[in-house]
Amino acid sequence: MRILVVEDDQLAAQALTEILSSQNYAVEVASDGIAGWEMVEAYDYDLILLDVMLPRMDGISLCRELRSHGYTMPVLLLTGRDSGHDKAIGLDAGADDYVVKPFDAEELVARVRALLRRSGMASMPVLEWGKLRFDPTSCEVTCNGKPLSLTPKEYALLELFLRNSRRVFSCGMILEHLWSYDETPGEEAVRTHIKGLRQKLKAAGLPPDAIETVYGIGYRLKPLEPTPASPEIAKTTTSEPAEPLKQQAIALLMKTWNRFKGRVSEQVSVIEQAVLALQSHALTAELRQQARQEAHTLAGSLGTFGFPEGSRLARQIEQLIQGEKLLGEKECRSLQQWVMALRHEIERPPHGQHLLPESEDESRPLLLVVDPDRVLAEQIVAEAQKNGLRGAIALSLSAARRQFHSDRPDVVLLDLEIAEHLEDGLALLADLNRHTPPTPILVYSAQADVNDRLAIAQQGRHTFLQKPLPPDQILEIVLRVLQRIDKAASRVMIVDDDVGTLSTLQTLLRPWGLHVTTLADPRHFLETLEACSPDLLILDVEMPHISGIELCRVVRNDSRWGGLPILFLTAHTEPEVVNQVFTAGADDFISKPIVGPELVTRIMNRLERLKLLRDRAEVDPLTKVANRQKSTQDLDHFLQRARKHGDPLCLAVLDLDALKQINGQYGHAMGDAVLRYLGGLLRQSFYGEDVVARWAGGEFVVGMYGVNQKGAVQRLLKVLDTLKHHAFVPTEPTGNNTPAIDPVPDAQPPLRHVSFSAGVAEFPSHGEDLRSLYRAADEALQQAKQTGRSRIMLAPLPAADQEVAHG
Amino acid sequence: MSKRILVVDNEEYIREVAQICLETVAGWEVLTAASGMEGIAIAIEEKPDAILLDIMMPDMDGIATFQKLQENEATRSIPVVLLTAKVQAADRRRYEALGIRAAIAKPFDPLQLASQVATALNWSL
Repeated sequence: MRILVVEDDQLAAQALTEILSSQNYAVEVASDGIAGWEMVEAYDYDLILLDVMLPRMDGISLCRELRSHGYTMPVLLLTGRDSGHDKAIGLDAGADDYVVKPFDAEELVARVRALLRRSGMASMPVLEWGKLRFDPTSCEVTCNGKPLSLTPKEYALLELFLRNSRRVFSCGMILEHLWSYDETPGEEAVRTHIKGLRQKLKAAGLPPDAIETVYGIGYRLKPLEPTPASPEIAKTTTSEPAEPLKQQAIALLMKTWNRFKGRVSEQVSVIEQAVLALQSHALTAELRQQARQEAHTLAGSLGTFGFPEGSRLARQIEQLIQGEKLLGEKECRSLQQWVMALRHEIERPPHGQHLLPESEDESRPLLLVVDPDRVLAEQIVAEAQKNGLRGAIALSLSAARRQFHSDRPDVVLLDLEIAEHLEDGLALLADLNRHTPPTPILVYSAQADVNDRLAIAQQGRHTFLQKPLPPDQILEIVLRVLQRIDKAASRVMIVDDDVGTLSTLQTLLRPWGLHVTTLADPRHFLETLEACSPDLLILDVEMPHISGIELCRVVRNDSRWGGLPILFLTAHTEPEVVNQVFTAGADDFISKPIVGPELVTRIMNRLERLKLLRDRAEVDPLTKVANRQKSTQDLDHFLQRARKHGDPLCLAVLDLDALKQINGQYGHAMGDAVLRYLGGLLRQSFYGEDVVARWAGGEFVVGMYGVNQKGAVQRLLKVLDTLKHHAFVPTEPTGNNTPAIDPVPDAQPPLRHVSFSAGVAEFPSHGEDLRSLYRAADEALQQAKQTGRSRIMLAPLPAADQEVAHG
Repeated sequence: MSKRILVVDNEEYIREVAQICLETVAGWEVLTAASGMEGIAIAIEEKPDAILLDIMMPDMDGIATFQKLQENEATRSIPVVLLTAKVQAADRRRYEALGIRAAIAKPFDPLQLASQVATALNWSL
C-alpha cells in the first residue's frame, strides 16, 4: 500500500513517515499542496494523508481538486484541535475522515487501516485465503494457526494480493504500490520477494502456486475454488481443464457450429412446421416422419456442440412424435413449448466457449507444431506461450492441413515423421508452400539423411533443425525466424479496446507497408509487446482493466522499451488528460475521430526519423557495417546466449594490411574504396547470427555465434582469399575531384591487391567476456602482423602451440 | 504410424465434429462416409484400422451396414464401434451378441470421443 503524506511541517511529516512505515506502508511526502497534486498526477497512491494548512494550495482545495478530477483514493485530513469548521468543509470537499493534531499514533494507524479497508478492496478486517489468515491489526500472518515469519516487503506483497484477490499485478504495478518513488528498485526485486514469499507459503503447507504467474502480465493470488460447472454442462463438455489440443478442438468445433447453425435452424424449422400442422390437424405422415428424423439428429448432436438442453428437448420431441399415435391437445401444447424452448436454446452461444482461453488474442503470432509426438508438441506450445506466441498442435497430416487452413499460422514447425512415407510429408510441405505470402516452415527431424534433406530443400527454402533439441532452443529459433520476416517492414502495435478503431487503423496503415499488430485486450499487453517488438506503439487512453496511461508507464519503466515512440489516441483533449499522457512518457497525441492522412503522416514521420537516428547511431556510414557501440551490444547478447546454452562463439579482429601505405600512395579515396569493399564482403559472408563491425580505421571485428575456432578460421580464410584476388584500380594520387574508383576486377594495371591479418579467440577458452576475448584476438592479430601479414592466427590456448593458417 | 479410422454418419456436421475431435485430440487420420453403402466401399478400398458407425441412417442403417461388413472377407476383421442414442445394458448386450466391439452414446462429448474410442478398441492415445 502506498501512502502520500502532504504536510509542510517537517517534523510532523517525519513522524508520520515513521509510524506508517512501521506498518509496512510505502510512504512519500509532499511539502505543499501543489507538490502533492503533482505527485498524485504522476503516481498511484492508495491513500492520501492531507494536512489542512498548507502553503501554495491548502488541503481542502487540494482535496476538492482531487475529487473533481475523479481520483477516488481515500483522503484522511489532519486538522487542528479546534477547527470544527475545517472538518466540516473538509468532509464536504470529499475527504473521508480526519485526525486531530497532535495525533495519536495508534488512532491514526487504525483510521488508515479502516479507510483502506473501506476503499472497497476487502471488507473483512482479517484477510483470509484458504488456511491463511492475515491480520492487519496485529501484523500477524498465520497458516493453519501457525505463525508465518515474513519480511516487511513480503508482508506488504501478501497484503496487496489479499486485498485485491482477483487482480493481476505487473512487476511495475507492484513496485508502485510497495516502494516509494525514491527507493524504487528494479523488477528483479519484485521477483526476488515473490520467490521468497512463495517459498514461505509453500513451507507453511499452501500450494506452491498460491501466487500465480500470469504470463506476460504479472502475478495474482490463485482463485481459491473454480466455480463448478453445472452438472449438465459437465456431462457434455467436461469439467476438466482444456489442454492445448482440446482447446484447439473446441475452437474448431465453434467454427463448425457457426458454419452449420443455419442447417440446424432449418432442422428445427421442420419440427416447427410439423407442430403448426399438427395444431391445424393437417400433419401428414410424411412431415411427421421428417420431423422425427430431424429431432433424432438434433438429439444426437446438439449436446456435442454444447447444447445439452437442446439434446434433451429434441429427444422428448422425438419420443412424442415417433410412431403414428394420435396426439391429444395436452401433448400438442407440450410439443409447442418444447419446440419454442429448442428454438430459443440454439440461438444462444454454446457452452464450451468458456473452456477456450479468454480472448486469446488473434494478433499474436501463431506457431503450428506438426509432430506425432504429443508430449514434445505440448512442451513446445507451452514454451511458445511463455514467449508471447499462440500455439497450435497437429498430430497427423490431416490435422495439420485442417489447422493450417482454419487458422493460418505465422510459422510452422514440421516433423516429417508425421508421415509414414517421406513423399506424404513432402506433399504436405508443398501444399503449405503454395500459399502467399509463404509461411516460413522449420523442418526438424531426428533421422533425415542427405537425400531426404535434398528433397526437403527442393520444396523451397526451409530452416532445418536436427532433433533432439530442447523446446526453449526450438523457440529461440522460431522467434528468430519470426523476427526475420518482420524485419523488412516497420512494426506498429496498436492497443485499443474498440475493435472498430483497430480495424480502421489496420486498413489505414497496411498499405504503407507497415506490419500492424492490434490488441483489443490490454491485459495481454506485455507478451504482445515482447512478441511484436514494435517500432512504434499506439495506445488508447481509456480502456477496461488497464488504461493506456498505465501501459505507457509500464513501457517507460522498462529500459528495453525506453526509446520506443508512443502515440496516444483519444477523444479527450482536456489539458488534464493531455498533461497526464505526456507525464506518463508519451511522444505524441492524436485526437479521435481519426483523420486518416494526418495520422499516417505523423506515424510515418516518427518511423522515418527513428530509422534515420538508429542508422546514424548504429551503422558505420562508410562500410555500412555496425559501429562499435552497436556491435558491442550485439556481441554481449550473443555471449550471454553462448553462456546460457554452452554454445561456442568466436571473435575475430581483422586489420587491413598496409592501409596507411595505400592512403599515402593513392590518396584516402582509394583507402575508402578498399574499406567499403571489405565492408561489403564481410556483410555478404557473415550474417544471421554473426556480428560484423568496424571498430577503428582499418580494424573490423567479427563475432560468430555457434562456430568454433576451426570453423571461424575457415570462414575468414574464404574472405581473405576473395579479398586477395580482388584488384583495386588506384585513384590518381594527385587526385582530381572524382571519388574513389570502384574496384574493377581484371582491369588493366596498375592494380593494387590488398589483404588483411586477423586474430581469432574463442569463448570461453580465451575469455568469458568481450573485453578479454578482444584482447586475446588482438594479441593474435599482432602476431599475425609480425609474422608477415595476410594470415589468420588463433589466440594461443594455455599449454598449446599456436597454429597459423596462411591465406 | 497413426491409426486410420472411418466415420460413417449421414449428417454432415456430425461427421465433421467427429473428424475434428479424432484428428485433433488423438492425431488419427480420419476418413468419412455419408451412408452405409459409401462406408462399405471406402472400408474395402482403404482398410481402415476401425470404423465408427452411426446406427440410425436412412436407406441402410448401422446394423445392416455392420452385417454387410461382416459378410465381406476384406472388411470382416475391422473392429466396429457404434454411435447410438440407445446404450442401455440390454442394448449393449444386443450389440455385443452381433459382434460389435462397443457403443458410444450420442450425443457424445467431443473432447472425450477420442478416449472413448481408444478405450473401446484398446488403443493408446
